[in-house]
Amino acid sequence: MVININARKRLVFVFFLLAAGLTTVILRLAWLQFVRGAELQEKALNNRLNVMPVAAQRGVIYDRNRHELAISIASDYIGAFPQEIKDSGRAEEIAATIGSILDIPAKDVLEKITRNTGFEFIERQVEFEKAQKIKNLKLPGIEVVPENRRYYPNGPLAAQVLGFAGVDNQGLEGIEAMYDKQLSGEPGKIVIEFDALGHEIPRATHRYIPPQNGNSIVLTIDQTIQYIAERELEKIVNSPTDPLKANIIIMDSKTGEILAMASRPAFDPNNFGKYPSSVWGNPLVRDVYEPGSCFKIITTAAALEEGIVSPNDSFYCPGYIKVGPDTINCWVSPMSHGSETFAEAVKNSCNPVFAKVALKLEEEKPGKFYDYIKAFGFGHPTGIDLTGEGTGLLIPEQQLKPINIATIGIGQGIAVTPLQLVTAVSAVANGGRLMRPHLVKEVLDEDGNVIKKIKPTEIRQVISPATAQKVAELLENVVSKGTGRNAYIPGYRVGGKTGTAQKAGPGGYMDGKYVASFVGFAPVNNPRIVCLVTIDEPKGYPYYGGTLAAPVFKRVVSDVLHYLKVPVQYDENKKDEQPPKPVTVPEVVGRELSSAKAEIEKLGLKVRFEGQGDKVIAQIPKSGAVVPAGTKIILYLQSNPNKPRVPDVSGLRVTEAAQVLEAYGLTLEPQGTGQAAEQNPVPGTIVSPGNKVRIKFYETAREVLGP
Amino acid sequence: MFERRLWRNLDYVFIGSIVALLVISLIVLQSASANISSDPNYYVKKQILNILIGLFALFVVVLIDYTKLKRYNIFFYLINILMLVAVMVIGHEAKGAQRWIDLGFFLFQPSEFAKTITVVTLAHFLEKRHNKLNSWRDLIAPFLYVAVPMLLILKQPDLGTSLVIMAILFGMLYVAGANNKLLLAIIGGGALVVGLALYAHFHYGLPIPLEDYQLRRLMVVLNPYNDGKGGTGAGYHVIQSQIAIGSGGWWGVGLHQGTQVQLNFLPEHHTDFIFSVVGEELGFIRTVGVLSIYFLILHRMIRIASQAKDLYGSLLVTGIVSMFAFHILVNVGMTTGIMPVTGIPLPLFSYGGSSMLANMLALGLVINVNLRRQKILF
Repeated sequence: MVININARKRLVFVFFLLAAGLTTVILRLAWLQFVRGAELQEKALNNRLNVMPVAAQRGVIYDRNRHELAISIASDYIGAFPQEIKDSGRAEEIAATIGSILDIPAKDVLEKITRNTGFEFIERQVEFEKAQKIKNLKLPGIEVVPENRRYYPNGPLAAQVLGFAGVDNQGLEGIEAMYDKQLSGEPGKIVIEFDALGHEIPRATHRYIPPQNGNSIVLTIDQTIQYIAERELEKIVNSPTDPLKANIIIMDSKTGEILAMASRPAFDPNNFGKYPSSVWGNPLVRDVYEPGSCFKIITTAAALEEGIVSPNDSFYCPGYIKVGPDTINCWVSPMSHGSETFAEAVKNSCNPVFAKVALKLEEEKPGKFYDYIKAFGFGHPTGIDLTGEGTGLLIPEQQLKPINIATIGIGQGIAVTPLQLVTAVSAVANGGRLMRPHLVKEVLDEDGNVIKKIKPTEIRQVISPATAQKVAELLENVVSKGTGRNAYIPGYRVGGKTGTAQKAGPGGYMDGKYVASFVGFAPVNNPRIVCLVTIDEPKGYPYYGGTLAAPVFKRVVSDVLHYLKVPVQYDENKKDEQPPKPVTVPEVVGRELSSAKAEIEKLGLKVRFEGQGDKVIAQIPKSGAVVPAGTKIILYLQSNPNKPRVPDVSGLRVTEAAQVLEAYGLTLEPQGTGQAAEQNPVPGTIVSPGNKVRIKFYETAREVLGP
Repeated sequence: MFERRLWRNLDYVFIGSIVALLVISLIVLQSASANISSDPNYYVKKQILNILIGLFALFVVVLIDYTKLKRYNIFFYLINILMLVAVMVIGHEAKGAQRWIDLGFFLFQPSEFAKTITVVTLAHFLEKRHNKLNSWRDLIAPFLYVAVPMLLILKQPDLGTSLVIMAILFGMLYVAGANNKLLLAIIGGGALVVGLALYAHFHYGLPIPLEDYQLRRLMVVLNPYNDGKGGTGAGYHVIQSQIAIGSGGWWGVGLHQGTQVQLNFLPEHHTDFIFSVVGEELGFIRTVGVLSIYFLILHRMIRIASQAKDLYGSLLVTGIVSMFAFHILVNVGMTTGIMPVTGIPLPLFSYGGSSMLANMLALGLVINVNLRRQKILF
């Protein structure tokens, strides 16, 4: 019997089906071996190469005088080849041994050395003795390989500038992060061919690719200056003032080089993990705050440059200023500064005057104020070579209302980073030239050759040198006579400005939370350094910049100037640093002008006249008063007793004014108490004897060093 | 019982192809197994022994007229079931499956023989019904007939062998003259049900009769790196196998030179994945050569099937063709990454005693049918 035709036909079909299947398989083979051949061959190679990393030596970070701030010290890591350990069958024992030497749970070690991988780190940066112990045990599949550990010899000194590097030699914060590429170098490796079970193959590829060590960085930071700053911060933090935070930044005003940058709270980069990550960053660069009165320097510079005001212009401070529906109080409110020149307003840090000046500038030259603010670098990162720089906060120009202009004029309603402020003030100190702040001076190669030098960069001329000079003089007065007296350093000409800003919180300014600050530079005639001290949320009263920050500034700058060997100079007006001698005021009432003047000047006092004529009818202070030499004695003159002119008694107290008016035969009709301000009729008016003169008195500032 | 003149019918091309394949397989096995045992020739020696045992069995099978096997059909069927039940009860467990019976000198794997026995019993079963395979009802009986051994094998679990039995069933039904449309409908319907079940399993958690690892191994064919362990789990075999084959190029890296094989990156390279060794060490040209020999063997078997003197013989050979073809295509497909990993060996090539013996028995049957084909008229 022959099988039927149908079955044969079907067998033929089966044949073709198999042929099709086989063709598919051959096409797939060709695809793998030709199209993907190269890729798969590469994979086959990678399969059998095991790489042991060899760390590159991380570069050193030096201060400007080549003192080491961050170095790499040799240490070891313990690595494992899990397969070899598996083969040895001693995994548990090895885990227990290593665990006890390294003082880590054996369970954890066991978990690592039994992973299904080619290579595992057991522990990084192991102390020398422990590593030696493990090395000497010659455990199978356990390797002790040298690596580097970052060490910061000065501990927390300049921690927020330096940042730190992690175990894998990667910079995580600060300069370490910013210049990581330069510092880290290229890690090398040992490449060994292994089979699938992790056995080393004899005669196989065994290459050593040496690491490329990192470059070193020379900072502009001066270790000694940094130390001075940190020392002062430490003092203030441990004092009853006990602020939340405190910062000091010192900059070379001519070059923009940062000489010191210190913050509290700080951390030790050798053990950075033990500190909250919030303190790792650099608050001087990152955080913003409202600068308060320190910002009046910028208002002053802009107004002087634009000719809106000159130092001798007269102003009057009633203790507040109304801007539309809002009222800005002066810091002395409920008292006032009374009448004062602009120069005195700077000295007094008088809010209404600055608000008025800012408004006048905006009114006469719209947009100019903001142009200056931006030109001084606010609202923009300064471009310093650190990561995470803040830009500050400016109210958008199109949303500006007059009240904003007024408050920005006194440094509220604008947020700046400490670095921005110190850079801007540095421009004033530097003849109006704004420099880019920077932290790195040089990059050195492995052998110490300079491969890159960072030169000072001028960003722009913000104000003219003449204006800068004027501002500097005004600021010098703040320190020598005004609210910044506590920053005065004998032997050096210091200019500066206090600041006491209320801190803004959710829903407005917070009561009792201030930032007391002081920014200044020295010496005024040839500034070398600019320094900003900020004290955030000091406890207790007074919380003023003039009382808290200025003394810190004084100690820091004084030490730094001496350290920098800046020659001591005494300005001409203060050659004699001894206090003036006390003099008893003589009686000159009723005498001729010329003899009275001669007698007074002979005693070392000065004379000022009020009124016309050659006969002295009153004197202030009265005879017998003891005053310092150089004090001005006001002599009131009269020619015709029948036609008295109303004398100018402004500044006198009620009793004094009454005396003087009485001498002229006039009657005082006082309003208020304090110092005489407005008179009616005005001085110089010819009146009849016995007429009444109405005078308004205002109480002026107490002896408190203001904001 | 055996007439000398029957030898004249012998298909020498068929025999020659088998001999060539066995020789090549020993050469490759020598290279593949040199590194996994202290005696580099250990596996080769054992495989030669396996081949000799197989050849002996083959001769025994050839001597018995295949048509006489019909008489013992029910006996074979019961033996088959008995073996498979035995393995469930006293089986030796390895790699998560219970497939072996330890005979002391030999790990006996019933499922390997179950395939050949199923061919023999089914051939008789279908021969009797060859004109009655045209309706759904007609097909129920053959399906139930093979379902018993198949389900027992699936229970071990051994998905691959169960699938081989399905392939045998379909191949033999087709040649036995079953209704084309019905077969297509069953295959299409089956595929649809499996597809839907998998979809429902992945998206709605429908329970399916597969172990998790089996499913993983099936699914990695789509992307071997998506095995839940980034290519070190179920996808590892597939990845390493493709790397091995891809490294071969035109002429291969040479025997004993394949790093994937010699350094043990490729697991099971002397058993299920031996084809990857061919790809890596011998290259594309020679691999196509090996496949051609397989094709030639299959071609000759189909020829023998169509020359058989009766439908029973024809169906016997058809069943064995189905078995071999399925094994070859799925195994090679698995090593090249176009078929799921089901763990079925490459016939006559992979190391293994049971498999070699079962395959030799099957070839004995084919030769048997070949020798006793229609009488040649002088």
